[in-house]
Amino acid sequence: MKRRTFVGTLGGGAIAGFAGCLSREDTGDEDENGDANGDEQTPDPEPENPDLEGTLEVVTYESMVDGDNPAGPWLKDAFEEAYPDAELEWTRLPDQGINHYINSAEQGESIDPDVYLGLNIDDLVTVDDNLADGGLFRELNTGRIERSGRIRDGLDMGDPHDRVLTYDTGYISLVYDETEVDEPQTFEDLLDPAYEDALLAQNAQTSDPGQAFLLWTIDAFGEDGYLDYWQDLQDNGVRVLDDWTESYYGAYMNEERPIVVSYSTDQVFASAEGHDLSRHQVGFLNDQGYANPEGMAIFEDADQLDLAYAFLDFALSNDSQAEIAERNVQFPAVEDEYVDLDEEFDQYAYVPPEAVTVGYDDLRGNVDDWVDDWAREVASQ
Amino acid sequence: MLALLALATAAVLAVMLYLPTGVVLVNAVVEDSIPTLAPFVDVLTDPFYFGVLADVFADPLAIGEHLHALAGWLAAISISVGLEYRLPLPFVQFELPIPWVGVETPGVRQGLFGFTAYQAALSTIASVAIGLPAAYILANYEFYGRRTLRSLTILPFVLPGIMVAVGFYAMFGRSGTLNTILGGVGLGPVAFVESNPLAIVILAHAFYNAPLVARITVAAWESVDIRAVETARSLGASERRAFRDVVVPQLVPAVLTGALLTFIFTFMTFPIVLALGGLQLATVEVWIYDRIQRLDYTEAATLAVLETILSLGLTYAYLRYESAQTGLSQAASPPPKEALFPDLQTVLSPRRLAILGYGLAALILFVGPLASLVVGSLTDGSGFTLRNYAFLLERQLEGESFQTQPWPAIRNSLLFGVATLVVAVPMGVVISVLTVRAGRSGTIIDTLAMLPLAVSGVVFGIGLLQGLVFGISLPGGWQFQVTGAVAIVVAHAVAAYPFVTRNVSPLLSNVDPAMVESARALGASRFRALLDVELPLVASGIVAGAAFAFAISIGEFSSTVILASGSESYTMPVAVERYLGRRTGPAIAMGTLLLCVTAASFVVIDRVGGRYEL
Repeated sequence: MKRRTFVGTLGGGAIAGFAGCLSREDTGDEDENGDANGDEQTPDPEPENPDLEGTLEVVTYESMVDGDNPAGPWLKDAFEEAYPDAELEWTRLPDQGINHYINSAEQGESIDPDVYLGLNIDDLVTVDDNLADGGLFRELNTGRIERSGRIRDGLDMGDPHDRVLTYDTGYISLVYDETEVDEPQTFEDLLDPAYEDALLAQNAQTSDPGQAFLLWTIDAFGEDGYLDYWQDLQDNGVRVLDDWTESYYGAYMNEERPIVVSYSTDQVFASAEGHDLSRHQVGFLNDQGYANPEGMAIFEDADQLDLAYAFLDFALSNDSQAEIAERNVQFPAVEDEYVDLDEEFDQYAYVPPEAVTVGYDDLRGNVDDWVDDWAREVASQ
Repeated sequence: MLALLALATAAVLAVMLYLPTGVVLVNAVVEDSIPTLAPFVDVLTDPFYFGVLADVFADPLAIGEHLHALAGWLAAISISVGLEYRLPLPFVQFELPIPWVGVETPGVRQGLFGFTAYQAALSTIASVAIGLPAAYILANYEFYGRRTLRSLTILPFVLPGIMVAVGFYAMFGRSGTLNTILGGVGLGPVAFVESNPLAIVILAHAFYNAPLVARITVAAWESVDIRAVETARSLGASERRAFRDVVVPQLVPAVLTGALLTFIFTFMTFPIVLALGGLQLATVEVWIYDRIQRLDYTEAATLAVLETILSLGLTYAYLRYESAQTGLSQAASPPPKEALFPDLQTVLSPRRLAILGYGLAALILFVGPLASLVVGSLTDGSGFTLRNYAFLLERQLEGESFQTQPWPAIRNSLLFGVATLVVAVPMGVVISVLTVRAGRSGTIIDTLAMLPLAVSGVVFGIGLLQGLVFGISLPGGWQFQVTGAVAIVVAHAVAAYPFVTRNVSPLLSNVDPAMVESARALGASRFRALLDVELPLVASGIVAGAAFAFAISIGEFSSTVILASGSESYTMPVAVERYLGRRTGPAIAMGTLLLCVTAASFVVIDRVGGRYEL
């Protein structure tokens, strides 16, 4: 399968084209790649009679179960309908996120959930930086997950240990007020006097869109150039607030500034809330958006292995993909022909001409330092 | 009896405070099971953390060099006198000639610790300046709704940081409530937040802490023995003189207590600075949180230990002062309250006008953000909506068992709040009693008892997780583990009892020891004397402390969310956090519910507590 032979992400640029123009580069510098590809043994061979009975525990982030119109309850009902002998139990991701499970594994505690829904690339990097390489989750036998071939090429997380499958993605973009500013076309535009004191961003230490935007600038300017760019951004008055909620709902919605780093699905919410869309224009710098794919994985010691595999496949089915996308307001992970979205969603959710993401290989061993150096520069008093 | 209570208090502190914080802080001094000071050296000599002081720490003996650098800095200062054509207020753009002494100092790199202390000092000054007039009014004047207002002063204390931040934007933002009002009279819009983020952060800190200063000071003011004032007056002292020599000395410990607590809180401030000011105004606590997130416990623990040393040092210095102030108060007989607005003519007196002006400013600062928050929960882009409350109702009626529901959150919050009050008040009073009369050793115990305030909340949370939730292996195959509702209540009580102590101690130290001695001489046990003589004299402090204990419990987030994880013991702030998503409305509606429930509870607590006062 195409997905399984693809290794890592691409050197400096790490641009995975959206329309399937996937380039390959075998880094081949560590034997972990050999494990993933050349290993004779297939992990988790498909059993003759899978055990599809019992309770499957799935851990996920809060908005999947507690948000407004969440996808979690729908997934549970639909999954239990498809597998009548199974029960799906949601576990809320503890406050420390993936660190909770890293700590548990370090302390030798048993980990209850079978499946983790909502894994980011940098979560995997954190796992491997702190536990053994390829730890915490099982290497997947994608042969058992029939629908895994439907996932769009650009959304691979590049895990050399094949532990994760993408189930949806968001794109980080700018949201701007067209009555106050013209659409900034490039990163350099943001340094222009026309955009002085105009941009709101988020703290990459704590915020997902904040980190995504930082990685996007690293993709654009390289690891030697991004700090200079941020120095210029600061000279032009960028404000780095804590999190998405304060920067968007607090500062942007109260018209403090005309541009904010946010999601390309912004208009879905804005139109539902009855806001004037002129203040909710989506801008793609360099005709790009930064993709934040979300993945699912099976814990190493999962009790319900067969059900877990069934769930991963189920989450990629037509209905699940549409429901997850629309309720989470994210984009489906599968190719267009395998999912039918509401027209309204199509109308207000924008896909960037080109998707950018910094993959596992580049993040590994770097992301903490990148964020650290950046934060120290911004916070220096 | 007293000894038993003291033992119980010590046991609770050992398990719920010293153990969890110790588990994390040990990371600062032990590396691979070998004791080391290297992490401290690394942090102290890093200019990012300590600015210019880092050089001094790096080479403390090169005194000549450091003096030389200092002299060079002093020489570069220039002072100029001129007329500045603007008001010294950050937001006002009217042009007025004002004599202005300009002091130009060459930039000093403060480092993270320096800036943190700087903003905490400014926040403390602002909080005292805003809190004292409120205390004066509440303690000296009678007006309709005074008691309710006094009860509600504590309200800002329980609000989750995100709510305060969103409330401030909704009030002071460019399209916020205040600018809408200004626009109505043809002014503005004024960029309150943008023009000076540090000023807004300090105002937000005052929003939290000025009521704290006011509350503690009012309690002291109402415990003043007016007969002493009358004696002074009859001996010929002017009103002003009597106030300065009799009333002020009884207020100063309370004001300083409020200032100390404010400084410690704002030194360890976390969500507010980043939400309103941005990463440019980052504080030490921001870095501790980040280090914990990145699983770098060594640096996190090192920063936290330094933070704690600073807070405890300050607390010790203050307590030395407080214990030196033994008063001779015999009974609380507070000054009579004057009617605020007896007739129209009085209203126009300068003092009454000043009070009105202060009232207006307080309305903007305190009521504004809260009211804007409530309005925000009731509106969307197309105007009035009940959608966010419909969400809460629907979640309550039709929510799945695994979803967070409003009513259990309200119920848990109230239950934990009352339970916290019941546990924390005796703990706090016992520590006050034990330390007030114990002299210098008492001061040290008292300082250590303030540890919950002086330890980084982030570190305490992670310590609870590692020490109590994951459990600690004991010899013999035993596993020591604490979670669930009881753990939450005890954790809240540990966070809350210092407020009881700090409210009670200043009053207790003012009680004339001769009164207790007479009671003992007449055959009362120590406990009996405490119950019948001392406690009634400090009742207003106990009630204020109890209200704080309840407030701390209601507002506590970081340890609750850890101890409640995986159980049904979530509280209102946890529910706010869980409802937070791309659509913020539901979380704001839940926050409004939190506001209303808490406001109602405070009124009830004060009414009930009021029966035991005076």
